[in-house]
Parts: sequence; structure tokens; C-alpha cells
Amino acid sequence: MATSRFQAFLNSPIGPKTTHFWGPIANWGFVAAGLVDMQKPPEMISGNMSSAMCVYSALFMRFAWMVQPRNYLLLACHASNETVQLYQLSRWARAQGYLSSKKEEEKPSQ
Amino acid sequence: MATSKLQALWNHPAGPKTIHFWAPTFKWGISIANIADFQKPPETLSYPQQIVITGTGLVWSRYSTVITPKNWNLFSVSLGMAVTGIYQLTRKIKHDYVYEANSIVAKE
Repeated sequence: MATSRFQAFLNSPIGPKTTHFWGPIANWGFVAAGLVDMQKPPEMISGNMSSAMCVYSALFMRFAWMVQPRNYLLLACHASNETVQLYQLSRWARAQGYLSSKKEEEKPSQ
Repeated sequence: MATSKLQALWNHPAGPKTIHFWAPTFKWGISIANIADFQKPPETLSYPQQIVITGTGLVWSRYSTVITPKNWNLFSVSLGMAVTGIYQLTRKIKHDYVYEANSIVAKE
């Protein structure tokens, strides 16, 4: 049972013998890279790249759903990347002072 | 003739009515962001990010030709992404290692 199931996976038209599998796997690298970069200070973040990534992953979630064969692995990957990149973007924005108006407003009330 | 060609393009299964057109089109944003970052110092570049940009660019050049509908827009943007990624990696590697070699030579 387990053997035949594994073989079915190996020989699937969206299995590891095809780029329908490796394309998304490569894209998980974005998520991994984003997680690694979370350890770095906000000054190292590129606002250009994080913004582009957020738009990119949002659109590709839809793309993954619509492409034939449908690619659930890719959909999950881009949902994860969207989350990671939004967090990076918020760190960058905070470091640039775009979110400082809240803090300035908070100070007088304190 | 021109009208019917435009209509054919408009109604193409990977045309501008579909996500198959717009997703790759916005993916150019990543290459453009990378090009914009050419002006920034190499210290700010992220090895993991640029390696992934290059790797996914190359893998997706292949993927775009085996999906239905076949997507040449996605092919070209993925290839462009790989090129910008490779350039950024060479900048950073040059900065990190060649600079170091130069400083060693200078010390000698």
C-alpha cells in the first residue's frame, strides 16, 4: 500500500519528475530566505523588493489556483510568502518612520 | 485584420482577461525592484534572497512552458529575474571576497 502510493506520487503528472513540483519547491526558497532575513536589522531590508514580493505572491495565489494542472503546493507557498513579506515590509516601514505617527500621537496622551 | 488579431490576443486563454497574464506581468516588479537596488551598496544585499531569485527564475523558465496554458510572458519574466539575481550576486560576491583579497594584497 505505502509502496504503491509512493510510486503513484513519483509517477504523478504533477510529481517530482516534473517542474510542476520543482517550481513551487524553488519558490519555498523565498519563504526560507525571508525567514533568514528576519534575523537581520530592518536597515538591511529592501523596501522595493518586499513591496514587489507582496504584490507578486498575492497574484500568484490566484495563478496557482487557475493554472492547469492546479498547483496546491504553489498556492500554499505563496500564501506563506505573502505572510513573511508583509512582516518584512512592516519592519522596514517602521524603521523608515512611516509608522511613527502613531507613536507621536501616543506620546501626548501618555 | 488588425482588429481580429487584437481580438484574438484579448480572448487568448492566457490573455489580459485572465490571471495567467497579470500574475507574470506583476512578477516583473521583482526584477524592477532588483534593478532599482543596483544603486544601493552591496552590503544591503541578501545572499539567501538573491540566490532564491536566481534559482526560481531558472526553474520557472522551465515550468512556464509545461503548464496549461503555456505562458511565454511568465517564461520571459522568470528569465529576466534570473539575470538580475545573477548580477546582484556577482556584485555582492565581488564586494565580499575580491575586496578582501585586495586588502590582503595591500597589507603584504
